Amino acid sequence: MLELIAVKGIYILMVFAAAAAFASSLLPNLFHGALALAAVLLAVAGLYLSLGAEFLAMVQILVYVGAVMTLVIYAVMLTGRLEETVTPSGRIQRAAAGVSCAIFFVLVCGVLLSTNWPAAPGGNPLPSVKDLGIDLMKRHVFPFEVLGILLFAVLIGALAAARREKS
Amino acid sequence: MIFGAGILKGMLVTLRSFVNSYFKKPDQGGLFTVEYPEKRLVAKERFRNFPFLVYDEKPEDPRCVACDICAKECPPKCITIVRDADAEGRPLKKPALFDIDLSVCMNCGICEEACPFDAIFMDHEFEIAGTERHQSLLYHKEDLLKSNGYFRQIRPSDAALIDARRKEAEDKKKAALKPAAPPEKKE
Amino acid sequence: METLFIQIKTLLVNAAALVLPPWGVTLSSMIISALAILGLGPLIMMYLTLMERKVLARMQNRIGPNRAGPWGLLQPLADGIKMLTKEDIRPSAADPLLYFLAPILIAVPALMVFAVIPFGKGMTAADLNVGVLYFVALSSTTTLVIFMASWGSRNKYSVLGGMRSVSQMISYEVTLVISVVPILMAAGSLSTQTIVESQSGRWYAATPWGLLSCMIFFICGLAECNRSPFDLPEAESEIVAGYHTEYSGMRFALFYMAEFMNVFSICALTVTLFLGGWQGPLLPSWLWFLIKTYLLIFIVFWFRGTLPRLRADHLMGLAWKFLLPLAVMNIPAAAMSHFLSEPFSTAVPLAILMVSVAVLSFFNKGYAAEKRVYHFTD
Repeated sequence: MLELIAVKGIYILMVFAAAAAFASSLLPNLFHGALALAAVLLAVAGLYLSLGAEFLAMVQILVYVGAVMTLVIYAVMLTGRLEETVTPSGRIQRAAAGVSCAIFFVLVCGVLLSTNWPAAPGGNPLPSVKDLGIDLMKRHVFPFEVLGILLFAVLIGALAAARREKS
Repeated sequence: MIFGAGILKGMLVTLRSFVNSYFKKPDQGGLFTVEYPEKRLVAKERFRNFPFLVYDEKPEDPRCVACDICAKECPPKCITIVRDADAEGRPLKKPALFDIDLSVCMNCGICEEACPFDAIFMDHEFEIAGTERHQSLLYHKEDLLKSNGYFRQIRPSDAALIDARRKEAEDKKKAALKPAAPPEKKE
Repeated sequence: METLFIQIKTLLVNAAALVLPPWGVTLSSMIISALAILGLGPLIMMYLTLMERKVLARMQNRIGPNRAGPWGLLQPLADGIKMLTKEDIRPSAADPLLYFLAPILIAVPALMVFAVIPFGKGMTAADLNVGVLYFVALSSTTTLVIFMASWGSRNKYSVLGGMRSVSQMISYEVTLVISVVPILMAAGSLSTQTIVESQSGRWYAATPWGLLSCMIFFICGLAECNRSPFDLPEAESEIVAGYHTEYSGMRFALFYMAEFMNVFSICALTVTLFLGGWQGPLLPSWLWFLIKTYLLIFIVFWFRGTLPRLRADHLMGLAWKFLLPLAVMNIPAAAMSHFLSEPFSTAVPLAILMVSVAVLSFFNKGYAAEKRVYHFTD
């Protein structure tokens, strides 16, 4: 019974994610759109969670909802006027967006259908957080370090850019 | 100086008053709040609020002679006095009506200073709140009259002075009346 | 006493097993835990408001609320009734949906983080193996809701408060996460339960790197839940009440509730990560946990009673120029203590950290306002 609910729950989450995605692209108000995007990201995190990828779900929430969306909304609030944050979109723009979306959809569908998905051989196929960490520190230590250096450089660069010029 | 030493110093100040509030007496840095409805500060003798009328023996004979001086002196004009009259319509030396509108009174105490008959004094009573704006704050003669005993109680030293002065004046009056007879005899 | 709450729960679940099918028993076990947390949240919040008012009053030589019930114990109840019966006002220009949703959504993460807090031995509602990450991830979503509230109210003070709140949260979130890393390294797990158990010998706060980490985490936590002295988003002397300016009645109460529950969960997590969680002698584990947590909450109120509000640039400076480098330096220090043997495992990190604190303090000296030079024309 509970598993049935869980299985059906995935479909509910999927529908919710799709609806929120449509809302985020169709809502005329920029702020509403951004919030709908946040809802999409949360729903995707929920999907990860229901698939047993807890770590990924949490990182998704932390990075995308907590940080990226916050920055997006911050930008919206800084740039747009408060009363009317409605973005004007012409007919040509809409048509172009629709066509490119359709092409992307077809491409993704093609990839999804042509891939041979390996079925997990029973038991617990998911790596634990510990395994992830060990993997990051052993097998993928080079990209990890490069990323670390990059982010550190970005941090210092941001501080340097924000520093007040001495007159 | 160590980073954050000022913060620690400030924290100690607040911690000290937190601890003191539980364990110290008011004069040693503890709480000095007097929780009003249950406890109250001892009123100072010269604390003045609203006026009241004094009577000596019984409320029907107030000291007030309805001279109207206080009503004339009153800056916001909150006192209304109507002189009493006997059956034939001759004026009596007491008020028929003595109203003070406490919503107008500004607690200045000029009525007390102006009164030549020691009849009106400032009271310590201040809890006069009512449920209605006009009538409950309009005090009539009956509400205003209080005994000299009460006056002695709230303002003992003033009352002693005034009582002594009145007694002296009365004695002088009696003395003036008494010697008035013997000289007649002498002549 | 030790297993009082667990026994109550087992009793309830066993009772449920008499009438429900197996899946119903699993479900009821979940629901009981969830209900316990749902009830605990508002209760904690109500009495934290009373505690805060009492503590602040005592620090300011006042008595504090003492009219409703003995020692004012019914005051939160009276406040709650007042909040509930107040008129619910919605500004005519406000965005109806966002204005309506924000107060509800802000309470959700605040309540959800309670799920991973180990209230006692075996008393974690959901012992996730990513517990700490769960906490950090959920508390980061609060920002979004604050934005909803501030933008939805269509009020300039709300927007200013929202902007301040977000810039503050972004800055302190980074430091908060980095300050936890040494603990995760030492415990080798993200699960709160495991972290508590790994402190059975020695609290992490008893090591030099752990103490520093604890202080940074606590300070950043204060900033995360907009508590004094980091209460710029709600600075009543400048921007009315910040992002909840336009809210009244129960909606305002929900914001208030979320704030107090965040205070509780930050303190509870500090206890879990650094102060040995529910471990302690003699008393039952949950009591130890509550004692430690409430001591930390007292410190939060103590800060509020003592420190004035930070200026916005000082706030950012503290986060980026002092706490963040210190938290980063703390990671190698913690690693040192892991790989070195006993006398050095304390001494080397201590030396590293003392040097970095000294260096950072030196470079942050420029904090004090520059002395003004006046030029007079002759």
